[in-house]
Amino acid sequence: MSRALPASANVAALARVVAGLAGTVVAVGAVAVAEGPARATTYAGSSATGAALTLAAGLGLITAGLVISLGRRPSRTGDLALLAGSCWFAPALAAWRGGPPLVLSIATVAAGFTFPFILHLVLTHPADRVGSKPARALTALVYAEALIAGAVLALFRDPYYDSSCLANCTVNSFLVRSLPSLAHVAEISDRWFTAAAATALIAVCAWRLVRASWPARQRLLLVYLPAMVFAAAVIARAAALQRVIFEDPFNPALSAIFAAGSVAITLLAAGLISGVVRARAERQAVAEITANLNQASAAGWLQSALAAALRDPGIQIAFWLPGRQCYVNASGQAVPDPSTESGRVVTRLTRNERTIAVISHSGAVPAIESQIGPAIRLGLENERLQAESLAELEELRTSRARIVETADSERRRLERNLHDGAQQRLLALSYDIRVACAAAHADGDAETEMALGDAAGTMQGILGELRDLAHGIYPAVLAEAGIGPALATLADTAPLPVQVLCAECGRYPAPIEAAAYFAVAEAVDDAARRGADHAAVSVAHDGGRLVVTVEDNGSGDASSMVAAADRVGALGGSLTARSAGTAVCRAEIPCASS
Amino acid sequence: MRVVIAEDVMLTREGIARLLQDAGIDVCAAVGDAAALLRAVGATQPDAAIVDIRMPPTHTDEGLAAAQQIRASHPDVGVLILSQYIEPHYAMRLLDEHPERTGYLLKERIFDVANLIDALRRLADGETVVDPTIVARLFARKRHADPLDQLSDREREVLALVAEGLSNQAIATSLFITERTVEAHVKQIFQKLGLNADPGSHRRVLAVLAYLRRPG
Repeated sequence: MSRALPASANVAALARVVAGLAGTVVAVGAVAVAEGPARATTYAGSSATGAALTLAAGLGLITAGLVISLGRRPSRTGDLALLAGSCWFAPALAAWRGGPPLVLSIATVAAGFTFPFILHLVLTHPADRVGSKPARALTALVYAEALIAGAVLALFRDPYYDSSCLANCTVNSFLVRSLPSLAHVAEISDRWFTAAAATALIAVCAWRLVRASWPARQRLLLVYLPAMVFAAAVIARAAALQRVIFEDPFNPALSAIFAAGSVAITLLAAGLISGVVRARAERQAVAEITANLNQASAAGWLQSALAAALRDPGIQIAFWLPGRQCYVNASGQAVPDPSTESGRVVTRLTRNERTIAVISHSGAVPAIESQIGPAIRLGLENERLQAESLAELEELRTSRARIVETADSERRRLERNLHDGAQQRLLALSYDIRVACAAAHADGDAETEMALGDAAGTMQGILGELRDLAHGIYPAVLAEAGIGPALATLADTAPLPVQVLCAECGRYPAPIEAAAYFAVAEAVDDAARRGADHAAVSVAHDGGRLVVTVEDNGSGDASSMVAAADRVGALGGSLTARSAGTAVCRAEIPCASS
Repeated sequence: MRVVIAEDVMLTREGIARLLQDAGIDVCAAVGDAAALLRAVGATQPDAAIVDIRMPPTHTDEGLAAAQQIRASHPDVGVLILSQYIEPHYAMRLLDEHPERTGYLLKERIFDVANLIDALRRLADGETVVDPTIVARLFARKRHADPLDQLSDREREVLALVAEGLSNQAIATSLFITERTVEAHVKQIFQKLGLNADPGSHRRVLAVLAYLRRPG
């Protein structure tokens, strides 16, 4: 529905107020009639309860119509409620014995449109349009039938010859020709058609209730449940009328059915009004988001603000990133396609014909896209851009972590290969040399024995160097025993005295241990390079971060420790090195817990 | 003396076995993994087991775990761990629980057959044998509030040799002093470390442990 221009909108609003007043006048008139000449022939006249029920239901509908119509967005639902409310009083007016013939004739015809209007009204709830094809077909069929039946009865029914007539039995200003049997058939078939349409209405309501999400169902029930009760009353009336000659308002079954129908319509009107009030509060709350937009800082602020305003905690905002063909949330994390979630309604928000965000919500709030104004859309666009760069950052971070992890596992593999391959073969060779040496000794070949003895000594040296090499590539003890023992060995073999204070040397994930270890190794190497005569290492766990510091008394600037900084950075941590008096290298690495 | 060997590399395993057999030691079994080692020890009740620290399936510390198991279930069987790592951590893991009849040597050390046989004898005597490189490394560690600070340089020297598993006589020879002097030093060390003559404990082993455990 396009928005009307302000001037014509005012005219339309005025027209609706007038219609509402007219409906009220009709209501008062109808009750006056019912309390007077029609005491015996209408439900409204049959008892005070009947009058109250008639008034409550009809005026309820008119009130709902006015409340909806006078809102910021006048709607079809409001107009239909006004029409249905006015028609509701037609049966009472038609029973105005001695009233103006034209009024009676019009009221008689109008009474036939009460049900079509109510059906249409119910089906336009909550989206302000009928929506699905079956529902549209049903509406059109009911209107068409009401028109045909109304026309046939208006043109060919002479009330005077109607054997089942009770209320208006004398006047029909539109009568062209009296055809009592045709009129009778039209009346009966209209009654049963209406009952069939009421059954269909129950089915549509039930189907919509079943399909809706839980929060949406709660809202729909307020209107659909009374609507279904009313439809049931319509069916029951058709069945009850089959057994009596005319609709006697004092018949207990019929009056009970009427009471049930009236109460249902009253509740339906109340449901409509509460929906409008709620929608208005939500619109107000959403509008308030705009006022606070400049305070929005944290990613996902808009999602929680909308969730609070629309009272839908499950609301999810996803942003489509065309570059990587996936949806992300405000923090840039990939999320599944919102439209694949069952039980949720997905609304696409566009700006300048581009989709900026996809909102997955309960569907309880009708026309959510119309509530989210340009300012919020701008805010969402902002969040989308932010999410995009966050997603890129995250991808970069994981890729960095992957690179370091791959390099580490390669280092471990090398260390193992050295240990299990070269070192073992050299050991075996060393053994052979010793055996040969012993043989030379036994043979008294002193020259060979000495040469082999030298070779054995050289072999020891090579084994030692190979061991240091393997340890430098990846200390086996780091993987098997963790950072504490690995740092102790590092301190043992460092070229300067290193004191290790290990307050939190539990086990951590391998990448974290490796980053901490190699950061210390690099810092200690750097300290030695700068001529420090001692270094102090401390490892502590502080609020989800492993904090490693290396202090030394070397002179000159500490190096920037690029390799260690890369490792630590790849895990989302930070490494700082400063030298003022004592050089301090500090690495902070996020970790869950030890 | 009867010995079981556990080493997954066939060449090394055979080498050690031949070396020991040549030296007149009875090799009851030579196996390739920890499970077979435990079975062999249970079946043959040897004097000592020579165990590679890294064995299948994970090639990390199976040997160490098996050694602890042997020390717990067969207190009379000595265990000599062979390793390519100079890691005090591994040595301490083994010695902390069962210091007596336990040893940790670098692999290349064993091809010096006299060294190996001496180590096995020390284990049989109920002592502890730790590779000199590891002892040296622990010696170099700076200690704070350490009872060992009270020791004189000479006493530290003697204690280091005790830790390596040398007898008083061997220590006397290597330091060019008399055995009586060594005995006096050892007595002094026991006293300074507060190790009283308690028949249930092996004071030499306790002294070595005090030495190996670093505070903090």
